[in-house]
Amino acid sequence: MIAPISYIQPLTTLRRKRELPAEGVVLVNMGDTVHSGDAVARANIDSKHVILDAGRALGLSPDRATRLIQRLVGEKVDEGAIIAGRRGVGARQLRAPAAGTIAAISEGQVLLEVNDERTSLRARVPGRVVAMEPNLGVTIECVCAWVQGVWGNGGLADGFLQMVGESPSQVLTADQIDMSLRGTILLAGSCSQRQALDLAAQVPIRGLVLGSLAIRLLPVAQKMPYPIVVIEGFGKTAMNEDAFKLFTIHNGKPATLNAQQSDPVRGDRPEIIIPIKEAGSPPQPVAVQSFRIGLSVRILNGPNKGRIGEITALLPASTVYPSGLRALSAEVALPGGLQDSCPLANLELLG
Amino acid sequence: MMNAMDQTGLSLLSIDVGSVNTRALFFDSVEGRYRFLAAGEAPTTTGAPAFDVNVGVLEALEQLQDFLGRTLISEQGLHISPDNEAGTGANAVTATFSGGPAVKVVIVGLLGEVSLESVNKLVSSTYCRVVESLSLNDRRKPEHIVDAICRKLPDLIVLAGGTNRGASRSVVRLANYLALALNLIPQGQRPPVLFVGNENLHEEIDNLLGSLTKLHRAPNIRPNLDQENLGPAKQQLDEIYFNIQARKLRGLLELRNLAEGQFLPSATALGRVVRFLSTVIDAPKGMLGIDLGASNTTVAAAFGGVLQQRVFPQLGMGASLGGMIAETHLTQIMRWIPHDLSEDFVLDYLHNKPLFPQTLPTTPEELAVEQAAARQVMRLAIGKSLPLFPPSAIYPLPGTVPWFDRILVSGSAVARAPRLEQSLLMILDAVQPVGIATIVLDQNNLVGAVGASAEIDPLLAVHVLESNAFMNLGTVITPVGKSRGGTLLRIQMVSEGQKQPVVDVKEGGLQVIPLPTGKVVDLYVQPLQNVNIGLGSGRGGWVRRVVGGAFGLIIDARGRPVQVPSSFNSRKEALQAWQEALGGG
Repeated sequence: MIAPISYIQPLTTLRRKRELPAEGVVLVNMGDTVHSGDAVARANIDSKHVILDAGRALGLSPDRATRLIQRLVGEKVDEGAIIAGRRGVGARQLRAPAAGTIAAISEGQVLLEVNDERTSLRARVPGRVVAMEPNLGVTIECVCAWVQGVWGNGGLADGFLQMVGESPSQVLTADQIDMSLRGTILLAGSCSQRQALDLAAQVPIRGLVLGSLAIRLLPVAQKMPYPIVVIEGFGKTAMNEDAFKLFTIHNGKPATLNAQQSDPVRGDRPEIIIPIKEAGSPPQPVAVQSFRIGLSVRILNGPNKGRIGEITALLPASTVYPSGLRALSAEVALPGGLQDSCPLANLELLG
Repeated sequence: MMNAMDQTGLSLLSIDVGSVNTRALFFDSVEGRYRFLAAGEAPTTTGAPAFDVNVGVLEALEQLQDFLGRTLISEQGLHISPDNEAGTGANAVTATFSGGPAVKVVIVGLLGEVSLESVNKLVSSTYCRVVESLSLNDRRKPEHIVDAICRKLPDLIVLAGGTNRGASRSVVRLANYLALALNLIPQGQRPPVLFVGNENLHEEIDNLLGSLTKLHRAPNIRPNLDQENLGPAKQQLDEIYFNIQARKLRGLLELRNLAEGQFLPSATALGRVVRFLSTVIDAPKGMLGIDLGASNTTVAAAFGGVLQQRVFPQLGMGASLGGMIAETHLTQIMRWIPHDLSEDFVLDYLHNKPLFPQTLPTTPEELAVEQAAARQVMRLAIGKSLPLFPPSAIYPLPGTVPWFDRILVSGSAVARAPRLEQSLLMILDAVQPVGIATIVLDQNNLVGAVGASAEIDPLLAVHVLESNAFMNLGTVITPVGKSRGGTLLRIQMVSEGQKQPVVDVKEGGLQVIPLPTGKVVDLYVQPLQNVNIGLGSGRGGWVRRVVGGAFGLIIDARGRPVQVPSSFNSRKEALQAWQEALGGG
């Protein structure tokens, strides 16, 4: 059975395709080094426009008005420039109400682009441009340690990792936050205190990584000015041991917090990227795997939610659970000598 | 139409790609009748990590092969060999699909309450999400409308408006806004346009939009003010839906080729079954079908062959659970939970489920939360569908569902509940049927396959629907109306000419009268108060040919809407009493 994978990679080569939602302009070149916040491409899907009705302005039918339009699509015009009409004193004319670019002409109507608020596509991953897709985007490669989360509030920032406490179950509270954390990406087991999130914004920190977030803080977390990535889910689940160990190793090092929202179809998940220099060319992460004995898994649901273990057996028949449900299952060995039977549906491979 | 029963082999393979699971189902002829034989199931692989629909399809097929001991997939990979004497392959293949993200649609109509409403109905009948709507009532400046369309980057624009002898200039004006917006969207990303308005404008619309994007045309969905004709446009929409999804999701084209064109959105397949069944039941009652999926819920209701269906991409049991949470006060979910759980436990579970939609509840508490959520999702979907039910639907009271003869429910959360009484209770609590209705559970998730196979051989649909592949849970009698407590109904069953003891039904609970599956009896039902079971207020009479099901005959005397006590202890008592009445503990 093809298994979902969550990546906690101590060292890997990450390749990330970044594409515009619509064709535009690519701003970087092959081989360029980019920071996570750099714009790599842009499109003009967010521009503002004004419709100028030449027919109405000139008192003519759309057909006749079209013949009197003096501009072409793509032409730049200044405020007050004649758009349509006859030249000469007393002649009715249609003038541009603001400076802009003629974006389209249809049925006697002229669409004037009055500002150029182009949508920029940011790299979101620090690294090197290794492939180009003309007019659409680029592929960026980064040698890094990499941890995927399950929820992000959409933000993006670079900063220095800073652990709060020495345990993966450390709860983040306001009294742990002071000005010394300014500019850092904080890491903690969980948070259920609104005051802590607010205070972190005032410091301000660059970002926050949590094992879990109290669900009542979700609306607050969505609006925080700094990126937040949640690794396990909502509630009070501690950060898993593997991710915690990896962050401990890299405590104090620079990282990128890409708190993009999950999109299962595109394969996007929020993530923490810790660039590692002079590490050669480590392999890319394994993309597709099936559940097998010996593989590491994370438990997604039930009493052992968030714990990481190893598959010791794939159970041949459906196992019955206390809920009464039957499911194809695996035996998972957990740290401390514990064993748990879990539906395969409740497991995620660790890549 | 090909009739597979005329051929040798007589077998059909159906593949259903849902948002979480992909199923391969096999039907074969046994003693001249189609039977569902086996199913294989695998996780759907539209997204990460496989990014190819057919990885999951192949896995489901391999599992099915193992169950059947029959080779289906040829050595060339995803290719089903023809059924032959060696017992390999299948005669025909169908496929249904609901696995991708909803298609983003901009809808355009002249008037909000006429063409825009019709075009909304049209796109809501399949897996679409309206991201922008535009009509003459729109008070925004035209340029703001154009900018809004561009910003949304829709997958599709559906333009309606004007009866066939009606408005033309206004429709052209709206089309011109679309032309301006399309001009701004880069050519490769321009959405196709489906024009379903005034048929006299085809040439003008073609001139305006045809050079800018792919323009589809279908007969006017409002040929005149009193008539709505969604059928032909729906066919076109299904085809466009497929093309849009096929561009985004790898493997979908191959799957359609495998199915030799017998490829339908799952919602359309459900609609076909519901429409068909509505033609074989007693008018004026209707047929209701619900498919509770992980990413969508579909509600299809048909009365005398007139179907109205709606897909809710924001209501589902997995990734779309957030839509239900956003529209629901927590107490509406808590009221169905018989455990003393904290609000935080319930909220955590409901918010974590969309992050991992494939997960299963392993503890009784988690299961209770899921089943409470399932009730609420279905209840919301039905509530939103009520205004769209055909005008021929008859409602006993404001706020109730109309009289339905049969209610068919599909979807894992209900169909795969550990105990049947849980499935039945979820349906009764969510739908809250009125009068006399038979509840049918699609426990094998077959409804899509049956709907999709109808064009290949309608007999398959008939045979499978009549078989025990669909589980008849029983016939429910629900009296509605004002009562004063005490005994509501007196029921006497007459089986093979023998009168059975009279049963009195008291207000407030659920009661079961044993009636084995398939056994047919007549009932004499006499209301003792001014309540209605579909024969008129306070009126009784014979109810002929009532067929027994897994729970026999169920009398739901809880009133409408069902009132659940607010205090935990009373609530627990009531919920347990209802479960126990159905034989559960």
